Amino acid sequence: MAHQQQGMDSALFERRLRPVYDNLEVGNNRKALQESEKLLRKHPNLLCARALKGLSLLRLGRYEESHGCLQTVAEEKPVDDSTLQVLSFCYREMEQLDKIVELYQHAVKQTPGNEELLAHLFVSHVRVEDYKAQQAVALQLYKAQPKNAYYFWAVISVVFQGIRGPESAIPEKRKLYLALAQRMVDKHIKEGKLETEQEAFLYLHILKLQSKYQEAWEFLTGELCAKLYPGAPVSMKFELLKVLGNWQELNELLQKLLEADRDRWDYYKEYIQSCFELLDGQAAEGADKPAYMLNTCHDFLLHIIDSSERKTRGPYLARLELHQRMRAKQLPAEELIGDFDELIIEYFCLFGDKSCCTHDIALFLPSISIEQRQSLASKLLQESGITSTSLPQNKEHMQKHICALQISRMCGAHIELPVDHLLAFYTALKLHYEHGHSSFGKQLLATEMGPSDPYALLAANVMYDISVREQKSDQLFEALCLLQYVLRNSTSNFHVKLLSLKIYHMFGCMLGAQEMYDYLDIKQIQLDSMGYVHCNLLPLSGRFSGVRNCFDTTLKFFTNSYKERLEYIALTYRFCTFSKMGEFMNFKERLTNSLLYVAVSVEAQLCDLVSCYGNIQQNLSAYVAMSIEPADDRIAWHELSDNRDLQAIIRWDPLHLDNTDAERKESYDQEIEVLQLRSLLLRLFATFIDLYHAPPSAKLAMSNAKTPPPAPGEDTATLELLRESWTGLHQRLRLMNYKPLSQRFLVNLLPTRLHLLLELPYERFFDDLAQMVLDMHSGASQLTLQCKRVSENVASVMDVCVQTITENNECNAVDGLWKRREHQQKIAACLEILSLYAFLLSVLNDKLQFNAKTKTKKKPSGDNKAQDTPLPISEKERSQMLRELMRQLKHKLEACDAAIRTWKAPTLPRDLSSFMADMSLKPEVEATLIGDVSATFKESHELMVTELRNLIKDKIRMIGK
Amino acid sequence: MTTLRPFTCDDLFKFNNVNFDPLTETYGLSFYTQYLAKWPEYFQLAESPSGHIMGYIMGKVEGHMDNWHGHVTALTVSPDYRRLGLAALLMNFLEDISEKKRAYFVDLFVRKSNKVAINMYTNLGYIIYRTILEYYSGDQDEDAYDMRKALSRDVSKKSVIPYTQPVRLEDIDMN
Repeated sequence: MAHQQQGMDSALFERRLRPVYDNLEVGNNRKALQESEKLLRKHPNLLCARALKGLSLLRLGRYEESHGCLQTVAEEKPVDDSTLQVLSFCYREMEQLDKIVELYQHAVKQTPGNEELLAHLFVSHVRVEDYKAQQAVALQLYKAQPKNAYYFWAVISVVFQGIRGPESAIPEKRKLYLALAQRMVDKHIKEGKLETEQEAFLYLHILKLQSKYQEAWEFLTGELCAKLYPGAPVSMKFELLKVLGNWQELNELLQKLLEADRDRWDYYKEYIQSCFELLDGQAAEGADKPAYMLNTCHDFLLHIIDSSERKTRGPYLARLELHQRMRAKQLPAEELIGDFDELIIEYFCLFGDKSCCTHDIALFLPSISIEQRQSLASKLLQESGITSTSLPQNKEHMQKHICALQISRMCGAHIELPVDHLLAFYTALKLHYEHGHSSFGKQLLATEMGPSDPYALLAANVMYDISVREQKSDQLFEALCLLQYVLRNSTSNFHVKLLSLKIYHMFGCMLGAQEMYDYLDIKQIQLDSMGYVHCNLLPLSGRFSGVRNCFDTTLKFFTNSYKERLEYIALTYRFCTFSKMGEFMNFKERLTNSLLYVAVSVEAQLCDLVSCYGNIQQNLSAYVAMSIEPADDRIAWHELSDNRDLQAIIRWDPLHLDNTDAERKESYDQEIEVLQLRSLLLRLFATFIDLYHAPPSAKLAMSNAKTPPPAPGEDTATLELLRESWTGLHQRLRLMNYKPLSQRFLVNLLPTRLHLLLELPYERFFDDLAQMVLDMHSGASQLTLQCKRVSENVASVMDVCVQTITENNECNAVDGLWKRREHQQKIAACLEILSLYAFLLSVLNDKLQFNAKTKTKKKPSGDNKAQDTPLPISEKERSQMLRELMRQLKHKLEACDAAIRTWKAPTLPRDLSSFMADMSLKPEVEATLIGDVSATFKESHELMVTELRNLIKDKIRMIGK
Repeated sequence: MTTLRPFTCDDLFKFNNVNFDPLTETYGLSFYTQYLAKWPEYFQLAESPSGHIMGYIMGKVEGHMDNWHGHVTALTVSPDYRRLGLAALLMNFLEDISEKKRAYFVDLFVRKSNKVAINMYTNLGYIIYRTILEYYSGDQDEDAYDMRKALSRDVSKKSVIPYTQPVRLEDIDMN
């Protein structure tokens, strides 16, 4: 049939298909469907139109019809490009990538040797990472069209079989594949057919993978490579000389490179290493060669320093590095190079006016004792020339002072000061900020950061230290106001925004946090790497539907990237970028397994279940659309990836107390546990619903149509299984005894929700609920008892909610902010539990009422059971019990609502209007600044209260009938 | 003090302290992946001794015949690492690669209002080749300067004879 079309005028069809394409493009899927049907009435055999109809149906969510439609087109084994394109697009959308392979296999069979179809077939194998099949197709392609690209597609496919494919774990196989790949390229070289730099790269790569370093070196330094790959990075040479142990040559090469390029850290690092290797090597080699001495290294660095017209950091840092490494080996560093402190001070004098100087000096602090660090810090402060009575004379002078202060903090000079000293220090920083701003920061471009801003950032950190020590919020709140003031002067300072964001979150002020987040303009991949500063903090923060927007934006990025993920890899094949293929594949894994992606997906679903507000049918179809499939744990737990960019937030915390790696690991471990809890909660809850509202087959059709419908009895099996996992998980987590994340410094990550989830009665509530759901289903005699248990749990959740509000109101008299976030989280968690429960009751009620209407005349099923089982409780009675539960929940929700109505907005710390009195602020600036911050807190509270009350109202309505 | 190395996909997760700068755009993934896949050697990153990303340059090489040239798509340096000559280092790298690829010149577009950048490019030997009207769209459209520097292959320096009249984007052949 496919051939039927060939005689027809393809241009004509293209014109007729255009409206369908156009409508699909703008998302008008209904219209696209109509147009395709119209066309099919005239030309029922037009395959492309049928494929497009399938696509329109897919987009409209009519999966079953779409599936059938696409299936019939595929069975026709189409060969025309447009039909194939539409079909493969659909299969990509449905993640049925193996079907694309089949599609093109058929097409190729019908027109063998067709280059374009073969290329599509190749890419379809790339998508499923079938390297063996890739190799075969690439060779067919090369036979059809002897292009180098195809030949090297085959080569890289062989390489991947050796290093990534299923056989890569077997050393002999790996060896065989790599040897084969090398032979393939060797042959090509012999025939003089190597053409591009990527081909040369690939050859080097194959040699290195086989540890044939000498051959690689010869190729790299040979004529052919110089011709094809003139831009080969010099680091390749380093790498090879190192594995070949050719330190002398490496040493000489680096000296030459450094003469020309005097500020390259990568060169110095390798250079210094080569010097130490030469030193170590001579012991083994005997005494026939002149002894290598580190003097040569030092002399070379001095020679660079002395002969440079412009002072660059390079040789100075290299000297410090040499010093550090000599000390590590107990070599006489001081004797050769001089006093370490003197060297640092010299460095500070030369480069202290650059903002990177702090990072530079910090590199060498871990190698000295804490005492030495602190004495060095005070030397630097002295060197900066600023005392309590003097001010910086110019911008550079100020930057030096800033650098010395930052280093002091890193050395731990401030951390142990008494509170009154810290407060005085804070005041000094604030005044320095203001002085720097008015003296050197007035004519800034909108895109520049204020030169004195770092004082304010440091001040905020100091105020946090005081707050933690006093367990009181007022100092930190003042710091927040200061940061907001800085932000007005320096609108592009992202450090200020990040710190403000953090403080707003700490204080439970979602509105302020959202403002800062929006101000940061986080987008695209930043949504993943920076999601931890905001998006990940939103679940159970106090709002539900209000945070959905942020989830959506984040999820949209991930879903799009997920869809595109394989096309990036296909792109590297298209451009034959062999150097990037492995990297792109790893990147794909990292992105699609982002912990944030999975966590936000789960939270968004929970959030939707909590906040659904339609009638029962609407809610259920929303639920079905989520296609949760509780039996199937779809999270690849072992592949989850931590993509957080924790370094984005600047910090100068004492090095001996700050352990970013440990913090990363601890928080990540806990986040994974939180995800375990949340995803299990979601799945367990879904089994409750599914028991009463069996999933329609459409849900199954989407899941590759492989899962058969559940057999009788299997419906409760999943529930019971997950319930066991639920209690088991809680048991394990309690035993693990995780410690809450340290809150020692401002920049530390906020506590995860792990402890909150374990503290609140989630475990018991859903465990008892599971039993009640089962009993309600079977009509077991213990149902009455179980209902009682559940209603007791409801009452205790309500109690927690009401008590927390009372407690928060009481706290308000002393400190309205310090415990705010914690209280909000508790209240939100209570309402989450009750809202999920309300949804469940509405589903149960719907089902029992439906049964009452349709099955009144039927005997209760189960007469085939053993004689001695007691008769199940009648549906009428069950219905009554359910109504009683609903009545009770309504009552408890009303009690929560009453408590929320009494919930007071946070009182803000002390006399706000005076805290900036010592700064030269105009009164009106000061008034609006404090007014704005206060208003944000108040408004944030009101928004939250309104939202929570609406949530309760919806739930009461849901179960009220 | 810098390490120059090729930009990798993983750096996309770590470049926030550079990309939070208001003049640095964070593009969609397909934009970065296209550059990485097509011109991997034109996407270089400068790393500090402490492992922070100091800045990066993103470019490409394209064009036909004597229009075969290197192009700077993005050049950015983190606020913490300014005034160290880093932009010049990255530009040199790109020019060097373009030399090796036998390009005739290197060009770039810059906002007419970005005085700091224009000044820097001028110091690096770039001239304003022409003005492109309303090249940058936004709340207020802005003109761009198309700046160029001839490479050694362009012996007669034909590529850097400036236009006198401004042009519109749709009127120029980007290749």
